[in-house]
Amino acid sequence: MPLLILLLPSLILLIAVFALPLFRYGWLSFHADSVMTGLVAIPNQGANWQRFIHDARYWQDLIQTLRFAFVSVTAEIVLGLIIALILNQPLRMRALIRSSSLIPWALPTTVMALGWRWIFNTPYGPIDRLMQSGLGQSLNALGEPSIAWITTVYADIWKTTPFVALILLAGLQTIPSDLYEAAKLEGASSWICLRRITIPLLLPYLGLALMFRLAQAFGVFDLVQVMTGGGPASSTESIALYAYWNALRFLDFGYSATIMIGSFLFLSSLILIAWLVITVARNRAAGVYAK
Amino acid sequence: MARDHGGAKSGCRSLRKMKAARFMIIALLIWSLGPLAWQLYTSFCTDQALVTPFASLDQRWTLVHYQSVLNSNPPFIRYLFNSLFAGVVSTVLTLLLAIPASYSLSKLGKRSALFFKCLLIGCALFPYVLLFLALLEIARYLQLGNSLIALAIPYAALSQPLAVLLLTNAFSDLPPELEDAARVEGLSVLQRFRWVLLPLISPAIASTAILVFLFSWNEYPIALTWISDSDQLTLPVAMARIAGSSIHSVPYGPYAAATVIGSIPLIILVMVFQKPIVSGLTTGAIKG
Amino acid sequence: MTLELRQVGRNINNQWIVENLTMTVADNECLALVGPSGCGKSTTLRLIAGLDPVSTGSVQISGRDITTLSPAERSVGMVFQSYALLPHLNVFENLELGLRIRGVSKRERTSKIRQVLDLVQLWNRANNRPAELSGGQRQRVALARALLREPEVYLLDEPMSNLDAQLREDIRPELRRLVLEQRKPTIYVTHDQHEAMAMAQRIAVLNEGKIEQIDTPYNLYHNPCSLFVARFIGRPQINCLKDESGHIRGVRPEAIRFSDSGLSGKLQSREWLGNSQLLFLETQQGVIRIMAPPEQAIPEQIRLTWRAEDEILFNAETGLRLSR
Repeated sequence: MPLLILLLPSLILLIAVFALPLFRYGWLSFHADSVMTGLVAIPNQGANWQRFIHDARYWQDLIQTLRFAFVSVTAEIVLGLIIALILNQPLRMRALIRSSSLIPWALPTTVMALGWRWIFNTPYGPIDRLMQSGLGQSLNALGEPSIAWITTVYADIWKTTPFVALILLAGLQTIPSDLYEAAKLEGASSWICLRRITIPLLLPYLGLALMFRLAQAFGVFDLVQVMTGGGPASSTESIALYAYWNALRFLDFGYSATIMIGSFLFLSSLILIAWLVITVARNRAAGVYAK
Repeated sequence: MARDHGGAKSGCRSLRKMKAARFMIIALLIWSLGPLAWQLYTSFCTDQALVTPFASLDQRWTLVHYQSVLNSNPPFIRYLFNSLFAGVVSTVLTLLLAIPASYSLSKLGKRSALFFKCLLIGCALFPYVLLFLALLEIARYLQLGNSLIALAIPYAALSQPLAVLLLTNAFSDLPPELEDAARVEGLSVLQRFRWVLLPLISPAIASTAILVFLFSWNEYPIALTWISDSDQLTLPVAMARIAGSSIHSVPYGPYAAATVIGSIPLIILVMVFQKPIVSGLTTGAIKG
Repeated sequence: MTLELRQVGRNINNQWIVENLTMTVADNECLALVGPSGCGKSTTLRLIAGLDPVSTGSVQISGRDITTLSPAERSVGMVFQSYALLPHLNVFENLELGLRIRGVSKRERTSKIRQVLDLVQLWNRANNRPAELSGGQRQRVALARALLREPEVYLLDEPMSNLDAQLREDIRPELRRLVLEQRKPTIYVTHDQHEAMAMAQRIAVLNEGKIEQIDTPYNLYHNPCSLFVARFIGRPQINCLKDESGHIRGVRPEAIRFSDSGLSGKLQSREWLGNSQLLFLETQQGVIRIMAPPEQAIPEQIRLTWRAEDEILFNAETGLRLSR
């Protein structure tokens, strides 16, 4: 019993900050609470949800958010794995290399988000200059809707790949080296080693990185808000940003809450599915390994 | 003979491999540090030099951006101190809550510990941006807006999952006999914390503290919505504010100077505390 | 001063870890607790120290009931298997911690620590951290900490299991001297029966949380009360032969001799033990171990006998000794 008392303050804080808001959103989503109602909550019989279901902008933002999340997380995991494999070798100045590659992860997103705006600036940024002199054509990386989202993906990859690489590196270091030695004795090539030893044994870590990164990328906000403001033409707008606009620009708290609780439900089911897929893959891998 | 041949071949291959690895490392460093280097370069360029990089100019280098950033009102250094303050307070609050909770978790039965761990992982996976509206309401209701100390409350909550998981691992890794011996010697719970437990988990505390500090230093959405007083802004919000509302008129020179000033403390932090950061992130991954 | 356990039990999730334990350890007596791992011997120590609460029964020191007291109030000195020294403190600080908590003055602390470190011959290592000491030295520091407590009861939990075999043998006389000099009830937990016989006047054999037998080493060996004790005590293990009446006859390997008549067997394998040899013989009643002098020649026709008084009879079902 005294043990639980030690746990209590932490638990209360978690409930206050994580659970209370969800209940509040659930309640708010059935109320109109905006400038129109004088910022007083008035029940509106599910009108928010009606609007939510038919809100083309939300669904477009959801698709954009998912696109952003899947593309950036996939790239981060592939790149992260490559970097981890490099860093796992005996290297001189390993600590220095490791901390240098950690710097992008440690810097505030907003700091570099504006930096990217300058680097991808048309026509004065270095990337655009390169494009102009190389292809004789401006890239317009932040002004062209079909390209701007890729630019934000790039910035996200730049920032979070070190984190993924670090987790995978930790995973690599748990693989006993005698497994590789045994495989080498059997004449296995490096590729076979990677496919049959490294990847299967790394699956738990890959799964972990995947889940955390997917959840984070799904809630992308800082990067997009500062780098593009959701533009051009809402092409990079994420659901979190949309919810933010609804609350603080349009002052429609009821609808903003609806967006957030709706997105939460969607994300929960997404994570559940990802978790199931990972578990199945892991069990299959374990089966292969046992054979 | 055949053996010699094989040896030479594999020697060749490993040399090639080493060269490839070196090339990749250089690529990695350019990739991760290049954008920062560009900001550094930008911060020293005159506006003229930025727009026409290849033209010969009388004045290419300047410190004017730094001057404008440091002499602004409030001075930029102020934001660094605000972030530092918020970071330290949040870190202390997080540890104060997480240490007892982790101790208790490490002593609980397997089943209840697993339950709490799943709860914490669930919280860690939650994209906390979605919380800002309700947190804003709470802040308004309790009149906590514009207070850096109050920011520590949501920050401590958001850091709890990571902190508790890391510290619980540290507590569970301690040999139980150490605490038993202290009990036999007559140490009370507090004395055991002071003399036995805290010194032994201090590496984990350091990792946790530095990760929580980084999180608090960098946090954006909650600081953005809680704090409007320009004297109280934290660094990320202040940086975003420099950009203003228009996308096309960002003062890139001063901004780059601000980036450099704002990055230096963090770069030093990462360089100095590389080990605890890495160990914190990786034990979290291995045992979480 | 005596230590007395009365029907002590510990139950976790409806499972008895230790059940109905009753025993008395006299002043100036060292009692060894032996048994296979998981038999509850360490738990028994923890119950006496107050580290775990008892579910039933009571613990008394010299007639004073200490069942509900905290470890701090009990005045027990305990040596742990891992020594449990704090790695961030040096030897002196490790020993000082408990004294400081108990409010002993600085001067007295120093003189006491000096005294006890002289006793275990480690005063010159007082400023070293545990990591800088050898296993044997660490063990002596752990013992010194228990001595400093000036307790009413000593509890030693496998104090030598982390040392290598040679060192264990070297340290044993020293440890025995230090422990016996205290003239306090002492409980010595070990899984090593040789160590138990060397250290203790009496041995309690535990099996699945219950005491099988408490007796002198001699009696445990020669008059085991159950098949379990007979098998647990004595290496090489006792031979167990099933006879026609359904009883089990236990015969110690060294009691069996070659002769002209009796049970016939065939040599399966042999192990040299230096001062003797251990023979494994295949017979109609199963494999029989016998001890023979090293120069013993193996006869062509092997026939085995033993004296009737060397035979111990057990009930095959209950495993209990049958009175002769």
